[in-house]
Amino acid sequence: MSHFFDNPNHNGDLQDLTRRHFFSKCAMGLGGIALGALMSENKIFGAPQVKLSNPFEPKAPHYKGKAKNVIFLFMAGGPSQLELFDYKPELIKYNGQPIPTSYIEGKRFAFMDSFSKDPPKLLGCRRAFKQHGQSGAWVSELFPHTAGIVDDISILKTCATDLFNHAPAKLFMNTGSGQFGRPSMGSWLTYGIGSECQNLPGFVVLQSGPRGPRGGSVNWASGFLPTTYQGVPLRGQGEPILNLTSPKGVSPERQRQTIDAVRDLNVKRLMDTGDEEIRTRISAYEMAYRMQSSAPDLIDLSDESEKTLDMYGIKPGEGSFARNCLLSRRLIERGVRFVQLYHTNWDSHGGPGEDLDKSFEKVCREVDQGQAALVKDLKQRGLLEDTLVIWGGEFGRTPMGENRESAGRNHHIDTFTMWFAGGGVKAGEVIGETDEFGFSPVEDRCHVHDIHATILHLLGLEHTKLTFRFQGRDFRLTDVHGELIHKLLV
Amino acid sequence: MKRVFSICFLFLMAASSFAAGKVDYLKQIKPILSSYCYQCHSETQQKHDLRLDTASFAIKGGQTGPAIVPGKSEDSLLYKAIMGTAPDLTRMPYKKNPLDESQIALIKRWIDEGATAPADEKAEAVLHWSFVPPEENQPIPAVKNTKWVRNPVDNFILTKLEAAKLKPSPETDRITLIRRVYLDLIGLPPTIEEVDAFVKDKSPDAYEKIVEKLLNNPHYGERMGRHWLDAARFADSNGYSIDAPRQIWKFRDWVIDAFNRDMPFDQFTIEQLAGDLLPNATPEQKVATGFHRNTMINQEGGIDVEQFRIESVFDRVNTTGNTWLGLTVGCAQCHDHKFDPVSQKEFYQLFAFLNNQDEPNLTLATDEDKVRLAEYNKELETLEKGLERLIEASAADVLAWQKSLDSDEVGALKPEITTVLETAPEKRKLKQKLLLLDQVRKDDKKYKEQKDKFLKLEKGKPQVTTTMILAERKEPRKTHLFIKGDFTRLGEEVFPGVPKIMNQLPADVKNPNRLDLAKWLVDPENPLTARVTMNRVWMHLFGKGIVETENDFGTQGIPPTHPELLDWLSREFIRQGWSHKAMHRVLVTSAAYRQSSNFRKDLKEVDPYNRLFARQNRFRLDAEIIRDVELAASGLFVPKIGGPSVHPPIPDGVMSLGQTRREWKTSTGEDRYRRGMYTFFFRATPPPALTVFDAPDSNSSCTRRMRSNTPLQSLSLLNDQAFLEFAQGLALRVLKEVPDNDNARLDYAFRLCLARNPARDERKRLSALLDQQLKSYENDPEEAKLLAPANFPAELDVKKVAAWTTVSRVLLNLDETISRE
Repeated sequence: MSHFFDNPNHNGDLQDLTRRHFFSKCAMGLGGIALGALMSENKIFGAPQVKLSNPFEPKAPHYKGKAKNVIFLFMAGGPSQLELFDYKPELIKYNGQPIPTSYIEGKRFAFMDSFSKDPPKLLGCRRAFKQHGQSGAWVSELFPHTAGIVDDISILKTCATDLFNHAPAKLFMNTGSGQFGRPSMGSWLTYGIGSECQNLPGFVVLQSGPRGPRGGSVNWASGFLPTTYQGVPLRGQGEPILNLTSPKGVSPERQRQTIDAVRDLNVKRLMDTGDEEIRTRISAYEMAYRMQSSAPDLIDLSDESEKTLDMYGIKPGEGSFARNCLLSRRLIERGVRFVQLYHTNWDSHGGPGEDLDKSFEKVCREVDQGQAALVKDLKQRGLLEDTLVIWGGEFGRTPMGENRESAGRNHHIDTFTMWFAGGGVKAGEVIGETDEFGFSPVEDRCHVHDIHATILHLLGLEHTKLTFRFQGRDFRLTDVHGELIHKLLV
Repeated sequence: MKRVFSICFLFLMAASSFAAGKVDYLKQIKPILSSYCYQCHSETQQKHDLRLDTASFAIKGGQTGPAIVPGKSEDSLLYKAIMGTAPDLTRMPYKKNPLDESQIALIKRWIDEGATAPADEKAEAVLHWSFVPPEENQPIPAVKNTKWVRNPVDNFILTKLEAAKLKPSPETDRITLIRRVYLDLIGLPPTIEEVDAFVKDKSPDAYEKIVEKLLNNPHYGERMGRHWLDAARFADSNGYSIDAPRQIWKFRDWVIDAFNRDMPFDQFTIEQLAGDLLPNATPEQKVATGFHRNTMINQEGGIDVEQFRIESVFDRVNTTGNTWLGLTVGCAQCHDHKFDPVSQKEFYQLFAFLNNQDEPNLTLATDEDKVRLAEYNKELETLEKGLERLIEASAADVLAWQKSLDSDEVGALKPEITTVLETAPEKRKLKQKLLLLDQVRKDDKKYKEQKDKFLKLEKGKPQVTTTMILAERKEPRKTHLFIKGDFTRLGEEVFPGVPKIMNQLPADVKNPNRLDLAKWLVDPENPLTARVTMNRVWMHLFGKGIVETENDFGTQGIPPTHPELLDWLSREFIRQGWSHKAMHRVLVTSAAYRQSSNFRKDLKEVDPYNRLFARQNRFRLDAEIIRDVELAASGLFVPKIGGPSVHPPIPDGVMSLGQTRREWKTSTGEDRYRRGMYTFFFRATPPPALTVFDAPDSNSSCTRRMRSNTPLQSLSLLNDQAFLEFAQGLALRVLKEVPDNDNARLDYAFRLCLARNPARDERKRLSALLDQQLKSYENDPEEAKLLAPANFPAELDVKKVAAWTTVSRVLLNLDETISRE
């Protein structure tokens, strides 16, 4: 285990440090911003001893990873793989027939009473599918733009998870556990290898769609890791970040002096109380200061060409998934380690607003162009090789329809589709095969833990070694599981 | 009859390594097996022929052999199965979350100790702890260190600490204590004078006197009221995309007032859920029913109104479950609750109680309304009289004009004039008469002025306050179970009723309605209401609940750390007449509450989450209270309680976010500086200074706020216009109120923010900052002017004002300022 996994923050033994130490030269390691000369001259706080390390300082991975950054396009609600990527002619053929009981014996579903009496009926996909690109990957008519990038991505059709309700399943996809209190993937990564960007948070969350993802902030929480590593959500609409301008009459230098004083007094309070949250707040102020100079440039899209904006399908002044895709490129360009985009609503049970007809078409349209443009754009700029793009939701949908007034499918955990692109991932592959109805994997089943192990691996981290000791036990993102998905790797 | 066991107090014992002695099967093991294994391995179902509902069944085992080998956990299949280490066997419980480590450890210990169980053990289910009514006469545990104990709360805390060989933390210093209790009970910091008086007061009940004063302070109702408003999902707009403003602040004020009057919680509950059904319901009791009008209203075109009415009833059922029962009954909307014993049918029985209301507005003239209305009427009457006099004086002219008309001219008259002429003169209304007068006074400017003034006033009748309430329908709606929660698919008809796992409605209630539901919730035998309520009170005072999952007292929630304490508090709450003030008094005067919140090295390993409360918790203040604390320090604070919501400054561009752009007319004068809880809350575009500090979105009931810690919060405190104004206010206050002495001024400013005096090095640091800033602005008076408030007194030096504004910004940004220690 390398040094930086020894809980740099929690083990920093404050009680052993004297106040004199702290008030010395707070070597913040923040781009040379030390406690000003002012302090040393005045000899207020004695001799230098202690450092408050920058939590996002880049740290060496276990081995050289293929990817540096991650963009996770999280399709909240569980998109139907059967309407998008997993083409099943047999399902169409047997549309309306009861599913053979051998498929569903012993299985549990989110809405159990729907299967209480008769076996549920198969629902054939009503969307036209075609093969695309060199790879010949099947993509439905609902994703015309995404169909254009199949040779740049790898489609994994046999993902599997454990939990079939939204909030726990989202938590599972993010933290490897359905229970609260575990760190999310972005927190693990920024804890493990810091971030290349010191002017923006290492883990940024963007949201679009009619509402936030179920579960909200627990999806990007840092669990038992220091709260510094939690995801920072930018606003979904309008200005992504407010209050970026200092008050009038406060120059950057004066703002710096203000924050220096805040920091020094906070450090003292940290010493006096031992409350680690103060350490997080100190880092938050440092980050805020740096964001003031870096974020306006980040969110100002005026330097993007019209061609780029058109490629993403961004309408000026409008918050959207497409704009978030572009923002995510701009974030990783600046070295932000982990960007997560949430888009709702993919929960296609059938019924008002959740049917597989108009509602599904709408949500597909909302993401298709932006996500395809993102991959193309990253590739054009030579960023794709360093950036791992992940697309997927918390689970998939059943081959059986739900008995509602419009077509819909239930939550399904046995198999669903995700796709990956860039950073060490093969291009133009279709991995995994499911049975004739798309109910279960027939080969290459990949569990969420395997996906996590693979993501960490791509970033240069051995998933069994990225641990955090908490309450007497070493915790991992992959718990006690996880196998690399070799077929996905270059 | 089935015997039931309460599994109340096992989990903490389980969770800690402190529990000594042999594992008690009935109290500690059976409940775990019951919660996680019986579904597939008991009387009703025996997957793989295995039953686990008695220890001997477990030892006997199933298809794959014995599940337990007494004394040998490593050879026991049960242990391996829950660990996930058994070959050819999935980790158990099947496709559910694994057991807690502490639970696994306990089971392992029990097996290793011989897996003993009573010989006469019967195979029967164990009732989840929270459904067993609180113990009536909870014995107060004995403790060794009796000197520490101030009231029974301390016995419950100390007994566990002593068992764990831990000492409680020392009492915190007086200044921290008074600031803490002020912030907790009224949400405002103590003034410097109050701090000094308390520090000087050597009488043994000095602290108790402070507590008494605070319980009677009208800001108490605001503080407690805001917690309640989170659960009530109170906001000032309708939500969804249209998000039109609504008037329901009267409900907010009712809540504040109820807490201030210490309205017994049973009555508080009944009035909010069914005030309109009480005999001779007063307007206030009707206002209280606004609780369930805080649902959102969708005003988009083309929607199915019934669909959204049903949405709001769902929300009412869920909110009731969340707020009073601590249960996520919402799952049962679509299917039987998978983990808690609430069936889908029972969900709709609760639904039926809340499905029978109309949603009117109640018009309420406030005192201000009455004054305004009287003034208005007086002015209108004066104008009317003036016009009447004119009409009388012109009667002859009008008649002459009328007579002068020939038939063609009559035919050409505007229809409204014809109507007037056809009306008998004594029946003509004032405005009709004016139409005639217009004909003969065409060029009379004075008349025109008089008339216009009247017409304008007549249109501008002052709006009288209204508020949203519930009213029971005469003809009840039918309630059906909705198949999978889909309102278009009706299942069987259901009638109002309560879940069978809990206390039942009185036998003489034939057709139960909302009033019966409310009474059932506050029946002393309801196992949940008092516990859930006391747990939240505890959570607000200690930073974390006795049941950490304060909204899930079901089988998936975290069990209480101090179940006996929770029961004692619940019974005491009821015994004290459901008095919040009584319980606040007990809790804040306990030794447990008064402990220092400083972190302790010796607790780090054994109790990192502070579950045993060996110290107080130190935590960031709630969003509104951050504003209040800064506002109080600035000297700008306007303590007015209640009234319509207000519009303090918000950042540019916030209001443009919603689908429909709503106006935000920034308040001037008093309303600019009101407490955070009065800020107008648009659901679609909520005030960022509140949401950035985790204020709930008000779209659904919230019983616990998150406490995040982000750079966006720093940006808000550093740069938001509203917070800048507080810093400017604080600077002016310090310069005005303290004579020209920097150290004295620094101390004063520091104390206004933190109550305590600065330590020497802190003062030096601030003093260095002040000098630095004075120098910085020395050569830059123009910049100084920009930072100083617009209207600072001319006698003040602008550079000083700017430098002090910076010092103030520092103080208002300190972690300690926005924390409660």
